[in-house]
Amino acid sequence: MKKKMKIRKIINNLFFLEILRGLALTLKHLFVGKVTIQYPKEKRKLPVGYRGLLSLLRYDNGVEKCVGCALCEAVCPSRCITVKSTEIEGEPLKRYAKEFYIDITRCVFCGWCVDACPVNALAMTPEYEYAVYNKRELIFDKQKLLSMGDKAFPEREKPIEAQHLNVAAFNTTRKWLPPHGEEGR
Amino acid sequence: MELAIQVAVTTLQIAAAMAIVLFHVAYLTYVERKVLGFMQDRLGPMEVGFHGILQPIADGIKLFFKEDIIPSGANKIIFSLAPILTLVPALIGFAVVPFGDEGYSFFGVKISPYITDINIGILYILAISSIGAYGILLGGWASNSKYSLLGGMRSAAQMISYELALGLSIVGVLLIAGSLSMVKITESQSGGFWHWSIFKFPAPQFIAFGIYVISAIAETNRLPFDLPEAESELVAGFMTEYSGMRFAFYFMAEYANMILVSAIAVTLFLGGWYAPFPFLEFTWPSPWLWHFFWFAGKIYFILFFFIWIRGTLPRLRYDQLMKFGWKIMLPLALANILITATVLYLMQG
Repeated sequence: MKKKMKIRKIINNLFFLEILRGLALTLKHLFVGKVTIQYPKEKRKLPVGYRGLLSLLRYDNGVEKCVGCALCEAVCPSRCITVKSTEIEGEPLKRYAKEFYIDITRCVFCGWCVDACPVNALAMTPEYEYAVYNKRELIFDKQKLLSMGDKAFPEREKPIEAQHLNVAAFNTTRKWLPPHGEEGR
Repeated sequence: MELAIQVAVTTLQIAAAMAIVLFHVAYLTYVERKVLGFMQDRLGPMEVGFHGILQPIADGIKLFFKEDIIPSGANKIIFSLAPILTLVPALIGFAVVPFGDEGYSFFGVKISPYITDINIGILYILAISSIGAYGILLGGWASNSKYSLLGGMRSAAQMISYELALGLSIVGVLLIAGSLSMVKITESQSGGFWHWSIFKFPAPQFIAFGIYVISAIAETNRLPFDLPEAESELVAGFMTEYSGMRFAFYFMAEYANMILVSAIAVTLFLGGWYAPFPFLEFTWPSPWLWHFFWFAGKIYFILFFFIWIRGTLPRLRYDQLMKFGWKIMLPLALANILITATVLYLMQG
């Protein structure tokens, strides 16, 4: 048995069998399909749920979803979100974010803010090309976030009042109706 | 008058040979990058021109306009001379490489597809190509850098060890052909691939061919024997401190050496410009073109093999390299000479 192994080893060494096997493999790979994606010319298909840049969403009547609760600010591990919320005039029960900043330079794209949002106002777009010449352009304000949401998610949800009858009833008893067609409050 | 014409013709021949060789040097870099890329499931250069076809030109322009840096501690004269000392021997070796057999006569002037046919052709190439090692050694020493020095030392040791095996592996062919002239050696192999000295009865030289190819890879400092360069250990070995055009000279020398070594392999072992079968010796439109075609085809195959080996094998350790050279290649080459000489003596009476 041992002698046989030795003979095999000698034959292996004499005819470079292992090297020949390696050569066959590399020759085979000469004709195998290539994995390279010519990036700027062709782009890869992103998976569902890709976590790109953050954006703010609106309801289908144009009202922004954000209620200014600042839960995203609280949950953000890199503390890149700043929310300044105010109440809507004449509606002490309703609040909204007067200012909303996300510092993309610090964002780690963990998606916790999206999970934390109680009204699904935040969403992650599949946008990953955001190189800029001026770093300050990467501190997104509310206007920028909303416009990105409009671009990435053209299909909007109905207002919460239209979705839930009890919410609608609550609002109508308090003589409050969502202001229609109001953009970027 | 006749002398002037002869000189003019020879000059033109040299210019043509250099143009062909330098063109191949440029595009060998492209082919190497492309083939290596394909073997690694990549695409290789794709940006400059169609599928990167103009890449060598872009590289050349880039290197030409790069800043010429000489390290402060370097020996300036030797540092700038060394790359030339490597490139020139690689190029003048082509003086005796025959691209085809005897040429045409135009108005009494004979034009042959080789620059010259001296009767010690192969000896001339061996002598010239060993000068190339000086360029590498001196370049490594003159850079005043540890990496360069180590690379140069390694190169010297490696080239000396493998030059022996290289030279001895050729002897069998010389015994069969009975000449040192490149043209005569090729002519002794005419008439089908079974007459090529790699298969020729009674003393086929396939072992010598194997030794030759392995030593040739070592001589040209290519993977798996690229210890003088050894990126992962020595940054770039003897080329570490070089940049711009001097770097390009070393680079061109490496590829010119590859082509030269393949051309010698084809001439000595694979029947030079002859077709593998006698019925493939076409004469239309010109036997010249067909000779060049077969010669170049064989060279391309060996060059592809070099790249193929590079894409397959990892680098040897230094002691493995030395052990392989002295303990396996050299005895094998000597044994091959002994057997060939004995067989030839017995068969020819």
